[in-house]
Amino acid sequence: MNAIDPAIHVAAANIRLDGVTKSYGKMPIIPNLDVEFRAGEFTVVLGPSGCGKSTLMQMIAGLERVSGGRIVIDGREVQELEPKERGCAMVFQNYALYPHMTVFDNIAYSLKIAGMTKAERRVRVELVAKMLGLTEYLGRKPSQLSGGQRQRVAIGRAIVREPSVLLFDEPLSNLDAQLRHDTRVELAELHRRIGATTVFVTHDQVEAMTLADRILILNKGEIEQYDTPKAIYHNPASVFVARFIGSPPMNILPVSGDGTVLRLSDGQAVAECRLKGSFQLGIRPEDIAVYTTANASALRADVRYHEDLGSHSILAADLSGTMVRITTPFGSQAPDSNVLLLSCPQQRLHLFDAVTGKAIAGAFTAATKEKK
Amino acid sequence: MVENARSINIVASLILIMGVIFIFGPLYLTLATASHSYEFMLQNGLTWSFGGNLIANFKRIFTETSIPMQMVNSLIVAVGNAVAGCVLSFLSAYAIVYFRVRWASIVFALILATVILPLDMRFVTTYQVASNIFSPLNAVLDATGLNDAVAGLFGAPFHAEWSILNTHLGLVVPLLAHGMGTFLFRQFFLTLPKDLFKAARMDGAGPIRFLVDILLPLSRTTFASLFVLTFLSGWTQYLWPLVASSTAEMQTAVVGLARLVPDEGAVPDYPLIMAGAILVSIIPLTMIALLQRYLVQGLVLSEK
Ligand SMILES: Nc1ncnc2c1ncn2[C@@H]1O[C@H](COP(=O)(O)OP(=O)(O)OP(=O)(O)O)[C@@H](O)[C@H]1O
Ligand SMILES: [Mg+2]
Repeated sequence: MNAIDPAIHVAAANIRLDGVTKSYGKMPIIPNLDVEFRAGEFTVVLGPSGCGKSTLMQMIAGLERVSGGRIVIDGREVQELEPKERGCAMVFQNYALYPHMTVFDNIAYSLKIAGMTKAERRVRVELVAKMLGLTEYLGRKPSQLSGGQRQRVAIGRAIVREPSVLLFDEPLSNLDAQLRHDTRVELAELHRRIGATTVFVTHDQVEAMTLADRILILNKGEIEQYDTPKAIYHNPASVFVARFIGSPPMNILPVSGDGTVLRLSDGQAVAECRLKGSFQLGIRPEDIAVYTTANASALRADVRYHEDLGSHSILAADLSGTMVRITTPFGSQAPDSNVLLLSCPQQRLHLFDAVTGKAIAGAFTAATKEKK
Repeated sequence: MVENARSINIVASLILIMGVIFIFGPLYLTLATASHSYEFMLQNGLTWSFGGNLIANFKRIFTETSIPMQMVNSLIVAVGNAVAGCVLSFLSAYAIVYFRVRWASIVFALILATVILPLDMRFVTTYQVASNIFSPLNAVLDATGLNDAVAGLFGAPFHAEWSILNTHLGLVVPLLAHGMGTFLFRQFFLTLPKDLFKAARMDGAGPIRFLVDILLPLSRTTFASLFVLTFLSGWTQYLWPLVASSTAEMQTAVVGLARLVPDEGAVPDYPLIMAGAILVSIIPLTMIALLQRYLVQGLVLSEK
């Protein structure tokens, strides 16, 4: 990418959704959504398939009508406006380039509709093309481009209008791993340069963790958590979020508390805790420590299998009837015996309600404090 | 499947050769007959040999019959059928595929029903309507009793008449009520990426701009296929033009050709008729030769 060019730099807009609802026929897709995307931030929307991510994007863009509520962009209510009046641009998963137009015409189409003169269009398109490394392809048709190049054209088509809001709906999912990585880095760079408020839908957590200023996790059209990647990783608000972020996902074990310790279903004590009742205990695979020497206070688990991924390996073990996964650093040998001795550091544990799955804040800190 | 490829090849070739003979035999006979004089034919009957009267027979077509003028009629009917059919099908498929039209599937089913209810089946009704295209309206007004009210108000019931029989319009319009084109375009639109429409909307294109700037250029081949198919079908129509046109000036070439056969028992002037048949076939034949690619595409698409 080239030196920063002030010509493509926009005033980012704040987006606020106020009690937005959406249903198709009688089926509610989004029951009630209040959320704010701050000006200039890069928000990644994560969620299982069918949870309404695309629907949310299209309502912001104006491609779908809201069933209720308000969408406010830059202080202006837009839910009744046409897409072109909202100042949003969108990049689609399958690029949706116009097959019969050249790259130049694809990028310039919105400018042409907006009534820009040919000379102005040329300047703008060439600027964008230079930015995205597309200059030599301007005369080609989309069918003569590689997947990655098409993706750039789609991005170029979106940014050429200098939108104050950029919407991406799974833009990288058709690319191979290497290209995904490269494009991700470029997108981050692009966002830094353009500064448009960006909403980005993906299934890929690596994309989410690396690109996002904030991550919005949706489940069945409702917000599970909306926070920075760090906060989401370290303090998941629910079992759903805990399982969704992290690879392999967080281990969740049923435990019961008697007021002093939490016990697994087979009676082994995992941690000290003052709470009584049954809970779900979460621990990330990378937070579990494996003892190599005998240790009386360790948890005992039966090894089931061992996967060596080169950089690290993953052990799967049966801990009191639940399969847990443990990430061990590179070099650690596959255990000789079938029995594994584990410890779960107290400060890395997460406690969730057994029924609602919501996180219980401060469950362990309180216990440790009292001990002091 | 592949074993015995040789003998299968031989059998296949034999079948093909038989097919070719079956098709070219009559064509050859047509050409041969057209090259003789009426007198020669009266003496010798139909022969496989060639005579020297081909050009003379063509000249007679131009001087003695209305075929040349009727070919103009045919051209109007065929082109009218093709152009109007393409435009209507394109627009209706656009509405069905790209808009959440209420009852869209029912509308589409009704359009498709015309494929299994061809003109030949609705002949009498079509004729009644063509003889006065206001007759359905009149009938509805009468049946609902609205006309009694009108009569009370204006002193006379509403009654309008407009016959399109024996006009070019009347020749073309009934042929248009055919859903194949809509089906063809619908199938094509469904193969396009769904997000194309959304992308165009994001770029600021309204429905009309999308239609003109995106859909139209992409549909060129489908247009060509449908044009060829409907042109040929319009050109070769027989029954409807026969009924709907009452004067030689309004008849199409195919009807005119049939009219060259005298009504009384006299031996028809076969050389003249065959020369006419050759002339009348030239336009569709050229069309097929030039646009064969699209014709095949259209047939394949409409099979799906
Ligand atoms: N036009 C429509 N008519 C009826 N239901 C629809 C329509 N579009 C989407 N839906 C439904 O709305 C729900 C949410 O769809 P949406 O496309 O927003 O999911 P998504 O989160 O983007 O999923 P994915 O990750 O698979 O893209 C789905 O259950 C889907 O079946
Ligand atoms: Mg989606």
